[in-house]
Amino acid sequence: MALVARAFESVSQAPRMSAATRVRVTGELARAVGAEGCCAGQVADLSANPRDLSLEDLESIHARKTGALFVAAVRGGAMAGGARDRALEALTLFARNLGLAFQITDDLLDLEGDAERMGKDTQRDAHRANFATLFGVAASRQLVEELLRAAVAALSSFGSRGAVLADLARVVRDRRS
Amino acid sequence: MSESAPPIGLDEARRRLRELGYLEGRVERYLFARAFEGRGGLLIPAIVLGAVSAAVAAVAAVDSAEPGFGASLLAVAVLWLHIFLASLIPAALLGGVAALWADRSRHAAGSATTVGLASAAFVFLLWIGGVWSLAREIPARALLWGVPVAAAALLTARSARGGFLARAYAHSRMLPARPRRPVFLAGAVVAILVAVAIFATRHEPAPVAPPRPSPRSGPVVVVGVDGLALDSEPAESMAGLRALLNKGRVGWWPARSGSPPEIWIDLATGVPASRHGVRALERVRPRGCPLTLRPPFGTVWYLRIVGPRLRLVSTAPVSARDRKSLTFWEVGASAGLPTLAVGWWASGPWPGAVVVSNEEILSRASDGAAADRDAMTTFLRERTDGQAIQTVYLPGPDILRGDRPKRASAIEAIQRFLENEVSRATAGPGSLVVLAADSHPMPGALGRMIVFDGPLPWSVTEVRQEEVAPSILARAGVPVAEDIAGRPAVALFGPGRLETTTVPTYGERIASLPSRSKVTDREYLERLKSLGYLN
Repeated sequence: MALVARAFESVSQAPRMSAATRVRVTGELARAVGAEGCCAGQVADLSANPRDLSLEDLESIHARKTGALFVAAVRGGAMAGGARDRALEALTLFARNLGLAFQITDDLLDLEGDAERMGKDTQRDAHRANFATLFGVAASRQLVEELLRAAVAALSSFGSRGAVLADLARVVRDRRS
Repeated sequence: MSESAPPIGLDEARRRLRELGYLEGRVERYLFARAFEGRGGLLIPAIVLGAVSAAVAAVAAVDSAEPGFGASLLAVAVLWLHIFLASLIPAALLGGVAALWADRSRHAAGSATTVGLASAAFVFLLWIGGVWSLAREIPARALLWGVPVAAAALLTARSARGGFLARAYAHSRMLPARPRRPVFLAGAVVAILVAVAIFATRHEPAPVAPPRPSPRSGPVVVVGVDGLALDSEPAESMAGLRALLNKGRVGWWPARSGSPPEIWIDLATGVPASRHGVRALERVRPRGCPLTLRPPFGTVWYLRIVGPRLRLVSTAPVSARDRKSLTFWEVGASAGLPTLAVGWWASGPWPGAVVVSNEEILSRASDGAAADRDAMTTFLRERTDGQAIQTVYLPGPDILRGDRPKRASAIEAIQRFLENEVSRATAGPGSLVVLAADSHPMPGALGRMIVFDGPLPWSVTEVRQEEVAPSILARAGVPVAEDIAGRPAVALFGPGRLETTTVPTYGERIASLPSRSKVTDREYLERLKSLGYLN
């Protein structure tokens, strides 16, 4: 919650941002963490039967709980930079694919990661369905790769300006902790 | 770690994730949204842009080489449109090849970049090759064209790469792994630098010092008669003329067919068409274009072959601007000998020479006989005692080859004209050279150079047609250039009458200004058609 509050604080104090843009970015953040976003995802996560989750259930929880934050972070930055609707659409695509890849990687690390290297307990979610258990390890890795390719491809219209975001996708791919 | 079979397989996971809006990278999505809806049309933007670029390259090449072309927006627009529409066909074929490649490519990103680079390189090749093929000295504005050409090439490259990626994606559902890098921009910069380097080497040849003549007494009169087939004509129709010509010394060579301008400029320059540059009726006019032009590299297939057959491009009369080598009257004039030339193909104003061009003669002629009459009258009117070389070209027998009565009448007129000239040559100090060459010869026909050079006994000698021009020049006292294949035909002239010294070269023809005709190209063209040319 502290980080969410800090995000709003940063937007409110950001220099060289017009009032209209400030309102748009604030709305984006609020939507991501509010009743249709992070909070809704957390509620759905807590109320679901952990052993009886379908892919669609998992995706819905992820999209609101984690994915929405990825999307808000990317779109908020783009709005602050004056991006137009078509660019925002492409960036949303990037963020959605990146967020799901991040989540599946997280599930993989939880399943087979090194607790010491990760700095936290592993197999905490072994009792509940997640993407890694749903797809299997090998298929999960393949899907992470394909999701990241899709994320990078969504940046193709930005040319070299999308390079930083593309590198972010590689960070997710190479993530070990 | 052992793993039991997961609840959802990979393919099933992909399908369901796509339904949820993932795994859709939308490569080049703004241009190629259809890539994700099916496989049709993926390379259409690349094909269209490729044709646009080819047309821009062609216009750039022509504008760089044809003075005044760029000043006519209509001419630029019409040429662009013709080449654009024509280029759609080869661009579509290349697009098809790229599509097949994309369907089978395992490294879509690298292959797509290769396709993009190749398409950009092709555009630059058309531009550089076109300018090189048309311009002898490349002006600075040729490089200014590099900006739109580079822009068109970059757009083509990007669209080709995007189309390739989209096609590959539609086929394999595998997205490219790497983001794009500015390879095309770097390629365009390299291509521009290459163009600068190549264009900088292209200079108008330096003027060559004219040969110093040792003028001979009396003029050299040269009468060229096209279509005079002495070997295949019925004996009775040519008896008088044959008898007259048999009084001279005859040099012969195996005739070959070709367009009248090419055959006669071969004779007048002493060099082949590959060197003097006059081929066929040379210039073309795309339908709707107010100007004629020479086809640049890469467009010959359309402007010379396909376009004329579809009646979208017409052939246009050749002009002196297209000739790169000097004719014998131009060499003589450059050497300081006044000369006269009437009616020759691809002739134009030249310092020191009185030139009445083929355009002027043919444009006011109603038929071949009238053209001959006009040429002979003009020749007799314009000739003066001081002219060392006097020449006239008579096209009548060639034009009238399908009209026997008129042709016989035209040959009678030529015979009367030649009788006077033979009398003058045999009585005076001058020399008469009659050139009889048929540009549409029968098999086994001969071209002839018949020389009347004082009271010499009749003889027949095989010569080469390359010897005609040097023989005329040597008889006028002009040293012969060593860089032309022919040598003076000594056996045909009186002893000691030919200049024996040589010079390294006459140089290339450098016209300071485009020749301005008294008649328009269109009038000339129409007249040529009515006389049987260009059909």
